[in-house]
Amino acid sequence: MKLVSVSGTNGSGKTTLIRELFGRLWKEGKRSAVIVNEDGVIDYDPEFLRENDTWVTYLRGG
Amino acid sequence: MGCSLAASLVARIKEIKRTVNPDYLFVEPSEMVLTQEMVDATRMGRRDVSYDIGPFITLIDGPAFERVWEERQPLLLGQIHKADLVAVSRTDLLGAAQVKGILLTLKEYRNPVLMLSVRTGQGLEEVMQPIVTG
Repeated sequence: MKLVSVSGTNGSGKTTLIRELFGRLWKEGKRSAVIVNEDGVIDYDPEFLRENDTWVTYLRGG
Repeated sequence: MGCSLAASLVARIKEIKRTVNPDYLFVEPSEMVLTQEMVDATRMGRRDVSYDIGPFITLIDGPAFERVWEERQPLLLGQIHKADLVAVSRTDLLGAAQVKGILLTLKEYRNPVLMLSVRTGQGLEEVMQPIVTG
């Protein structure tokens, strides 16, 4: 398991980038998960997660 | 990032390693977290559970850069410092003059800076490379 951190202010596109990377890694046969330490404005779409065999968990607080 | 939150993050990493054990575990920290804090927290976790530490990526919001730089420069610099890869995001919404201005401002602190747009695909290969190698 390799950990990859994606930092940035709200609206900088962290979730958008991670979703794109999930898809690309999935095409290479790799499974991904994500820990979101965020106030949770943008959630990951459950259907997207199922399709990409991806796991998401939220860690509340800053 | 406080001590208790870092400990919670480590506990969550451990839980995912034991239950899901994916090839890649992304962490999307709160916007107030600095890269050094992420480096420290993820290093701390390796005392307790085995995993590789991949790139620390920092995104700089391209269209909002001017405002954020003016209001929150210490935060941006703290996220740039210690990052393995710094990318200006949403570049499809930027004009050439804006890109030039951002690079000129950041040059003193970080060079090179990647131009990234998920919409057009610009820079995505460069982001993927350190994730899948090394």
